[in-house]
Amino acid sequence: MIQLEQVSKLYGTIIGANDLTFQLSPGAYGIVGPNGSGKTTLINLLTGQLRPTLGKVAVFKQDPWRNRKLLRRIGLCPATDVLYPNVSAYEWVTYQVRLHGLTYQDSKQFAAESLQQVDMTEHMHRPMGEYSLGMRQRTKIAQALAHRPDLLILDEPYNGLDPVGRYQMTELLVKLAQQGKSLLFASHVLHEIEEITSSFLLIHGGRLLAAGTAKEVEQIIADTPQEVVLFGPDVPKLIPHLADQGWVDSIQLLSERTELRIGLRDPANLYRSLASWISGDRLQVDRFQTADSNLTAVFESLLRHHRGELK
Amino acid sequence: MNPLFILDVVRFELRRSMSPGRMAIWIMLVLFPIALITAIRLLSDQGAENTESWGLVLYLLVPEVVCLLGLLLWATPSVSTEIEGQTWIYLAMRRSGRNLVLVGKYLTAVIWSFSAAFVAATACTIIMGSAGGLKLWFVVCVLSLLSCLAHGALYVLIGTVFFRRTMVTAVFYTLAIEYGLSLVPAMANRLTVNYRLRGLLAEWMDWYDARTITENIGGQEPAWFHVLILLVISITLIFVAIQRLTWTEIPTQQEG
Repeated sequence: MIQLEQVSKLYGTIIGANDLTFQLSPGAYGIVGPNGSGKTTLINLLTGQLRPTLGKVAVFKQDPWRNRKLLRRIGLCPATDVLYPNVSAYEWVTYQVRLHGLTYQDSKQFAAESLQQVDMTEHMHRPMGEYSLGMRQRTKIAQALAHRPDLLILDEPYNGLDPVGRYQMTELLVKLAQQGKSLLFASHVLHEIEEITSSFLLIHGGRLLAAGTAKEVEQIIADTPQEVVLFGPDVPKLIPHLADQGWVDSIQLLSERTELRIGLRDPANLYRSLASWISGDRLQVDRFQTADSNLTAVFESLLRHHRGELK
Repeated sequence: MNPLFILDVVRFELRRSMSPGRMAIWIMLVLFPIALITAIRLLSDQGAENTESWGLVLYLLVPEVVCLLGLLLWATPSVSTEIEGQTWIYLAMRRSGRNLVLVGKYLTAVIWSFSAAFVAATACTIIMGSAGGLKLWFVVCVLSLLSCLAHGALYVLIGTVFFRRTMVTAVFYTLAIEYGLSLVPAMANRLTVNYRLRGLLAEWMDWYDARTITENIGGQEPAWFHVLILLVISITLIFVAIQRLTWTEIPTQQEG
């Protein structure tokens, strides 16, 4: 379905995609990466909005930059919001389908069906200016689905949604994946993707750092040296314990000796020992920040691993 | 390019642009020449039979000012507003989105501007009374249409070349080229739209004296030649704008 061969994209001197090579068969995939990692660049390359500086992009065996007819087979739900205040969702989606060259009757029918699919039938004749963010998100998905594409690409579909909206969005995407629709789904939050697909691409700094199932990616992350930060007045007293451990790579004491930054090979060892050290020595540790709570840190570690800086 | 698809784009653009703000601007564009003609009519001691002077004023106010102002506001930002509003990506993801939307937006801008020019010209001709007449009204309306088609294409092209500071560039172009260079009696002014429009005005109104006096800023070529050049300019500029838009990487949003 998708084939990238040594694809790089430069914006002047800034690199958006860096030597990306991979193939994807039809199915559902998550693209995970922190903000600014290159997810949208990758999506723009796949949809022919950007031309690669180097390398080849093929979607359904065709170059999306040169062959705009290919867009008929791709549906994109961009991250950006859409707002035509005095136009209804029905009018807008019909118009979007019409721009694919379908007849007016078919466009109206397809628009109504896709809006029904995202539970917008009741509101589809109201002006979009009156919609909530969740309704606009659903309308955006409807426009991506309406022309019945073979591949659906979603860029941060959870942006700005409340918990109810997130739940509804997950339900919808799971339903689409179950229907056999090929999905490519970009997010900077791993667990959002995990609920929909078990296949991931991890991107950071424009590079593909890892690819595989959730378990494989979790294993890669677990095997990758990570950083844990402890905060509190007694954190220096943990240094003697840590200095003896083979799984500790580095120790840094910062912020007037109240912040301890620990580089680890296997965080699980620390998690097992830390509680007993703290309770045994009656230490005051106020806060504990793991790499899991900071996806960027995980990706930084993966990137260093990818470059061969960490073994 | 299927004309029915273009009509759909025009219909959608007209529908979404029907806002109180745009209507207010449209009314101001219509009222501006009417107010000036009324003031001149009330204050001037010119004889009612001086059709040439009245005609020149009407021509300057409608095809050269109302049309250009309308197109500056509606044709120039046709692409940049979609980019700034982050809605361009939705259109660019359609198989024929870029081409159809550009042409549709161009025609929509022409419709808005020409409708304002048409109403203004009609009202002004009525106010002018016997100094105006059906012939002047008809000529000014046709010149307004040609002005909208040619200037609209020009501004749309500017909008596809300069995604940022589009309006500033278009205003600079208008002042420097269409109002400045077109009045310079040199070969270069023949490249301007206003030179052709002035030539047509003198030709169609049979103002031989005016044409002799202003031959270097209004053109001596036959009317068919001016019309042909204006149509060629319009079609060529739109074609170039389509090509530019089709093969340009347009910034879609913040990189994520």
